Amino acid sequence: MDTELQQHATVRHWISTVDEMFHLSDDEWSERLGVLRDFCATTTTDPDRMIADSRANRDAKNEYMRRLKSFARERYPAPRAAHDAENVVRSFFIHNGARVFVRPYE
Amino acid sequence: MAIAQEKRVGVGMDFYEVCGLRRSIRWFDTSKPVERDKIQRILEVVRVATTCPGNLQPWKAVVVEQAKIPKEKRDRLLYADNMQGAHVQAPVWIYWFGDIECARPEIFQARVGALIKAGALPTAYGWSEATMANMVRGDEPAEGLPGVHELLHDMPQETSGQVAYAETVGAAAVGCLAAVNERLGTCLHMVATPSKAQIVSEQLGAPATWIPVWVQLVGYPAEDREGGGQRPKLPFEDIYFEGNAATVFERDPRVVAELEEAGLLRAPAPTPGRFEELKGLAQRFGYPI
Repeated sequence: MDTELQQHATVRHWISTVDEMFHLSDDEWSERLGVLRDFCATTTTDPDRMIADSRANRDAKNEYMRRLKSFARERYPAPRAAHDAENVVRSFFIHNGARVFVRPYE
Repeated sequence: MAIAQEKRVGVGMDFYEVCGLRRSIRWFDTSKPVERDKIQRILEVVRVATTCPGNLQPWKAVVVEQAKIPKEKRDRLLYADNMQGAHVQAPVWIYWFGDIECARPEIFQARVGALIKAGALPTAYGWSEATMANMVRGDEPAEGLPGVHELLHDMPQETSGQVAYAETVGAAAVGCLAAVNERLGTCLHMVATPSKAQIVSEQLGAPATWIPVWVQLVGYPAEDREGGGQRPKLPFEDIYFEGNAATVFERDPRVVAELEEAGLLRAPAPTPGRFEELKGLAQRFGYPI
């Protein structure tokens, strides 16, 4: 698993709370951490900073969500794959207490 | 087949099993519409089974099948409830309202008059239309009758609203049992974030005197009917007392065993496999975990 990303408290918290319920495999986590890592790279911020910004400021959170949409569309051409990639980051936000909208895939 | 010849209608279940399975189902099969006769049976059950002081019956319901309304209306109603997932998924939304006008003293008087004529409120206990009229005027009733004169005389609109709301909560609760009896999933949601309640009233054309109470979401469940198990309930001994509030009502293990057998007391949540089920549901519908 991405050990560098796990240096961030929000990432460790995310893994811990998700696995408390869902016990994802190493492969599943590798994939999820990969999405988060790549998204953080596009926003030139780190996970802890992203959550802190989002919890402090609704506009900042909305901006991250807008950039998430663009990131997912560009990185994952298939619509469902893009939606699932967005959900990875949304999961990260949800488990760290940063409110985000969730919608089904339609 | 005429109902008189067939005692059991449709898919009615045993009462204890209905009560045992009553839980908030939040994952609905979006591909399966709910048959109209099931919706009607839910409404019929609420109409006859819900108790209410003075038989006021202040509840009104607006049934919405989301597949049959314009997208804009659907989106506005969902927006009012903050786009909650269960609301997005449920094929049928029953909006329960409490009608303030149905909880006014003159209505109480009329409904009680009908109960007296029906033999439900016995003159032997002192009931008559004349004594009812006196109570509405504020006259204290004789012993044997409820002291409702204090409530009814010069009853403020606000109090009518509180009564209408409280009694409609009961109707919605019966509605949930009725839905489970149809082998449907159901749960109650706030009609709207309070600041957005007006959106719902406008979209549904509800009169100003109708107070939004709950929206009952109904549909065939996409999750197992156990919904992951019976929800945590307060210990029996913490809520039931005998004779006074300090003496716990002794719970007979024999009765508990009977109710486990009858399907009222069921496996607690989370049942084995629940989180695998939730993961599958999230993947199926495209939600995050």
